[in-house]
Amino acid sequence: MKTVIVRPERCVGCLQCRLACAVEHSESKSLVGALGESIPPKPRLRIYPGRLNYAFPNKCRHCDPAPCQQVCIAGAISREPTRGVIEIAPERCINCGMCAMACPFGVLVYAAVWQVPEKRAVALKCDQCPAREQAGRRPACVEACKVGALTYGDWQESQEEKGRALAQAVFSGLLAQPEVVPSMPETIRLWRQLA
Amino acid sequence: MRYVIIGTSAAGLTAAETVRQFDRQGELILISDEALRPYSRPMLTYLLGREAGLENIWLRPPSHFHKLNFKAMLGEPVAQVDPQAREVYLSGGRVVKYDRLLIASGAQPRMLGIPGETLAGVFTLRRLADWQKLEADLPAGATMAIVGAGPIGLKAAEALRRRGHRVILVEAEPRPLPRLLDDTAAKLLQEHLHGLGAELIVKARPAAISGHQGRVRSLALADGRELEVEGVLLAVGVRPRLEFLHGTPLAGNAPLTVNSFLQTQYPDIFAAGDCAEAPDLFSGKPVSYQIWPAAVAQGQVAGANMTGASRRYSGLLAQNSISLHGFKIVSGGILEPGPNLTEVWCRFDERQGVYRRLVFQEGCLVGVTLAGEVTDAGLYFQIMTQKLPVKDLPVDPRSPDFHPGKVWG
Ligand SMILES: Cc1cc2nc3c(=O)[nH]c(=O)nc-3n(C[C@H](O)[C@H](O)[C@H](O)COP(=O)(O)OP(=O)(O)OC[C@H]3O[C@@H](n4cnc5c(N)ncnc54)[C@H](O)[C@@H]3O)c2cc1C
Repeated sequence: MKTVIVRPERCVGCLQCRLACAVEHSESKSLVGALGESIPPKPRLRIYPGRLNYAFPNKCRHCDPAPCQQVCIAGAISREPTRGVIEIAPERCINCGMCAMACPFGVLVYAAVWQVPEKRAVALKCDQCPAREQAGRRPACVEACKVGALTYGDWQESQEEKGRALAQAVFSGLLAQPEVVPSMPETIRLWRQLA
Repeated sequence: MRYVIIGTSAAGLTAAETVRQFDRQGELILISDEALRPYSRPMLTYLLGREAGLENIWLRPPSHFHKLNFKAMLGEPVAQVDPQAREVYLSGGRVVKYDRLLIASGAQPRMLGIPGETLAGVFTLRRLADWQKLEADLPAGATMAIVGAGPIGLKAAEALRRRGHRVILVEAEPRPLPRLLDDTAAKLLQEHLHGLGAELIVKARPAAISGHQGRVRSLALADGRELEVEGVLLAVGVRPRLEFLHGTPLAGNAPLTVNSFLQTQYPDIFAAGDCAEAPDLFSGKPVSYQIWPAAVAQGQVAGANMTGASRRYSGLLAQNSISLHGFKIVSGGILEPGPNLTEVWCRFDERQGVYRRLVFQEGCLVGVTLAGEVTDAGLYFQIMTQKLPVKDLPVDPRSPDFHPGKVWG
């Protein structure tokens, strides 16, 4: 699966990715158009101040298995079979907040979107720009990042392994199976490499 | 190998899918008294409020059972289970033999046991049929009493307000969501209830429902008050559905207690979901939170173990998320101060309407309530579930810097 790879140590906190993400998820998909839309588009990633003075881009990691998918009482969260991306269907989302309890990375935000103007808010997160991926283009945040903090590519075999280990660790943490519960440092170490 | 699962909801469906991951050949029989493919019970209040249509409640596509080679016996109530003979008897007369049995029969609404509960206009909300009954019998614009200001009572209140009913919530405790919220969080919630236009009567116990010509006319409270209502929705909790264990050594144990492999005292009979009581994450004692995530998590463990795996379930945080008119409250873990309690920490930002309450015990975060802003809920939950001591965390959960950047960065 091709995905967005985050390198926090390169991030300078310029927020261009957030702008590009918001524009990509607007109805018009243009900056000028987005500014005039009645439901302002929301970016799907956030830049936090990290440790060690790095900025820290935080977004959905499309975990496998995905804890948010498991707890979704509306059946709105699914894995897109060909792209492998975890998606939230806005027309099914009921804004209940269950996914926020399940996501260990805190990536979900709740806001209105142009696709379902009748709803006050739905759960939003990175969808890895489906229209772009289908057209063979890079996700908007990656295209906007000029410092190499966000890149797009296939995981190396080893990283894939780590990805699975992490998803397993995070997931089993939620299920609390003692035989596989990792210690925090291990989780963080894996996660850093993954990020 | 023949697997039989009673119940095709969160726990039963998840278990069946998990069995299939491990055993592609085994015969897999799913039994439910509801003649419906799996649907989401929590969607019922959204159906009631006309925020969602029937097309939105199904959990899987129609072809799902066929694709996974599940044999479905839908619309077939189980009358009796015989653990010695390893047989399940259906009300219709059929007998189903099993090698491994999963009891995932869930729960049903409790009644109050007061006079008048059989009158037309008295409702509960657990099954699709209950919603259909409400749609058919609810007089337009009727004044409704909802008994119980728990999660379901509150969501039902929101739904009925959307339909233009006058709604009176009747709660025995001094505040809504009494088991989940403290006074500050409850006050915030009450403001939003008020905004919805729902009325709330606390410290009130229903004594009787009276009717006229078989229909509800009023709800009498124990203190003598009489509420003139045309309908009563009872939302006072649930009890496990285990009638079919009558006369077996498993009877009289409701919810059904299971070990950490989710087995009952019969190693070939497993139980999961709302009907079961599994070891708690913190205390290890059997508990039943009767929530969707627990049903799914237990379904996964039970399904794997039915095929011969030995996965251990050691509990899930008690967790609830209530979203009322867009206002969200999330709570998880231990909320009541216990004997080993070290600290309850609260911060209320009145201007933003945001509240955080954290409970610490023996150096660990064990409970959290977030109101108004819940994005980082999973961060707290992860730390609690892994029982990480606060001193080992990169940032203190009380700090305003407690966010993904500092925790994971
Ligand atoms: C209105 C509403 C809102 C809710 N909202 C939330 C929420 O926001 N978050 C949350 O976490 N939880 C919520 N819940 C609770 C959640 O729905 C349950 O925890 C969950 O459904 C439990 O799943 P289960 O598989 O254990 O049992 P159930 O969903 O109760 O399913 C049991 C199945 O077994 C079948 N069955 C039982 N007895 C027999 C028998 N004798 N013969 C044949 N079949 C039988 C039943 O027909 C049913 O299909 C809500 C519940 C309701 C009713």
